[in-house]
Amino acid sequence: MKSMTRRKLTEFLFLFPTLFAFVMVIIIPFILGIYYSFTDWQGTGAVSKMVGLDNYKAIFQEPGFLHSFLVTLLFTVLNIITVNVVAFIISLLVTSEIRGRNLYRAGFFIPNLIGGIVLGLVWQFIFSNILPSIGQSLGIAGLSKSLISNKDTVMITMVIVNTWQYAGYIMLIYVASIQGISKSVLEAAEVDGAKYWTRITRIQIPLMANAFTISLFLTLTNSFKMYDVNVALTNGGPVTMFMMKPVQASELLALNIYQTAFKYNNMAQGQAKAVIFFIVLTIFSIIQVSWNKSKEVEA
Amino acid sequence: MKKLVAMVLTLVMALMSVSALADLVICQNKVEITQQMEEYAKLYTEKTGVPVKVITGGGSSDYNTVLKSEMASGREPDIWVIEGPSGYELWKDKIADQTGAEWTKYTAAAYMDGDKVVGFPVSVEGYGLAYNKNILDKAGIDPATLTNRNAYAEAFAKLDSMKEELGLDMVVAMVAGTTTGMTWVTGLHNFNVYLTVGNERNDTTIIDKVLAGEVVPDRFHQYCQYVDLIFKYSDPDMLLNGTQDSQLAAFANGKAAFYHQGNWMDPSLVALNPDFEIAYAPHAFLDTDTDGILVNPPSWYVVNENGNKEEALAYLNYLATSEDGADYMVNKAAMVPAFTNVTLTPATPLSKSVMEWNAAGKTYDWQQYKLPDGFGMGTLGAIYELFASGAIDVDQFEAMMIDAIKGIAK
Repeated sequence: MKSMTRRKLTEFLFLFPTLFAFVMVIIIPFILGIYYSFTDWQGTGAVSKMVGLDNYKAIFQEPGFLHSFLVTLLFTVLNIITVNVVAFIISLLVTSEIRGRNLYRAGFFIPNLIGGIVLGLVWQFIFSNILPSIGQSLGIAGLSKSLISNKDTVMITMVIVNTWQYAGYIMLIYVASIQGISKSVLEAAEVDGAKYWTRITRIQIPLMANAFTISLFLTLTNSFKMYDVNVALTNGGPVTMFMMKPVQASELLALNIYQTAFKYNNMAQGQAKAVIFFIVLTIFSIIQVSWNKSKEVEA
Repeated sequence: MKKLVAMVLTLVMALMSVSALADLVICQNKVEITQQMEEYAKLYTEKTGVPVKVITGGGSSDYNTVLKSEMASGREPDIWVIEGPSGYELWKDKIADQTGAEWTKYTAAAYMDGDKVVGFPVSVEGYGLAYNKNILDKAGIDPATLTNRNAYAEAFAKLDSMKEELGLDMVVAMVAGTTTGMTWVTGLHNFNVYLTVGNERNDTTIIDKVLAGEVVPDRFHQYCQYVDLIFKYSDPDMLLNGTQDSQLAAFANGKAAFYHQGNWMDPSLVALNPDFEIAYAPHAFLDTDTDGILVNPPSWYVVNENGNKEEALAYLNYLATSEDGADYMVNKAAMVPAFTNVTLTPATPLSKSVMEWNAAGKTYDWQQYKLPDGFGMGTLGAIYELFASGAIDVDQFEAMMIDAIKGIAK
């Protein structure tokens, strides 16, 4: 009996440092955040009064927030598709017999090591200076103006930059998964006369289902929470019309929350948006993971 | 045990030396003078032995974020910058009373709360439409006649028709893009033209109306026509994609006749060696004559009540009253000092022009910082950008601006 309590104590002591940090920087701020979303807190000083659900009511009437919601969904869908398709294709490439494949692996992964802000600024220069001057000198009308300051193409630039950055990381997950597939299964299929395409769709993809679960989860949360590239590349601009009001065409939810809290100095309302953001992302993630889990097979 | 004691001691010493590294922490917002300010801080340390650390927050919205994080960091800045009433209200509880400090004898531009002196004017700054005198001379335009909107309409049209022989890419170098973070030029500085031009410095009738959700219809209509005029004669690409640097380069390289920026751009302007005479013309947006540029202390240093108050006050006194301070303000940072005891004249063109307008008493107030946080740069800035992109015409612009202003009162 005595040894049991001792064991429990040891376990607790081992757990304590991490648990302490987790409670201090995640759990407590999270609960405080929910509390602040029901107040009119301005970010400094004490809370002057409780306002109930007013912040929540206000944000659902705000065209800027609703628009951010829609573009975030659009961006997430586009980004999940492009990142995973590109990552899957390059993972097939770097696991094939191609020469210099280790060099390719490193090359595709390197963009992921560059910080989002630097990357955003570099690509902003490419999109608003380099491409237009190429477009002008070659007389290509579509390229002669900055793609960022056009409300119809700005989301495409966001997807291009994020895919460029993130596909290499997802590629690693696919590569590991492809290498984990037993050679004998693939060889048996080849002997049975299965073509390359059939081997990929009928054998590799089903056996890689757990890699898809992880990759889709990572790209879903990463796209939904996108902030750094958004700030540095487009800063939310340009302006477009939505519900008869001017709104920022490429302002994703995370940036919209930041702007509400810091630019408009409306901490409590920003906090209410963050709570909604959390709930929506949690629901989406649960749906995605359980759907993907149901597709996984044992080999 | 000994080891533990030694470790704790080292840790304590390390912590002490970190705080000893900076007796005085200053948080400021002028990115363009970061280097000059740090050099002055070093000089101050050499002369007085007080170590000073300068923290700079870039751009006007980012500065507030930097300041908030510094305040929350456990080592609050001893001196920081407020940009007007909203900054003052936010930090009021921490701001020390500076009434009776030596520097207060030499200025009328201190930030006051009733009878209490609470803010040290960092400088006075001004903006109008800076012009390239060579180009105006060649086109036969006398800048002294630019005192109403019709005069500008004629001058802009004339310059536009002579673009090729004058080597111009655009008449006015103007920026309005969100992407490049330039909406403060439109939503704050240009909007202030509507708020104060033609009125006495302490007249707040227009801003009071705006804060109540109203505009003065005729004045506002004329203002929108003026914005239309500036945008029409600017370059569409510059409006949407122009950065602070590309806007400046267009003017400094003689590709634009007018330049919508203030004298804070002087250090960067001089670095590009413009080979022509530069001065300010007024933002005369009305049909009737108004002759004056927009001048104000844009920001004030405030002192932390709970911080190293005495050192902070000594630093500010030295800045205002010593030759080192004057040399830093006028020669190094190219600012126009708010202090009457400083006799140096700025060598740089924009600051010199501000000083001349200021000395002539032809100035209008800055009241854009009385707008609610984010309203000018965010809400109004978006409408200016929409107008600049050509998505709406001037009448829709006017209607949307009025609608947005109505939203304040809610």
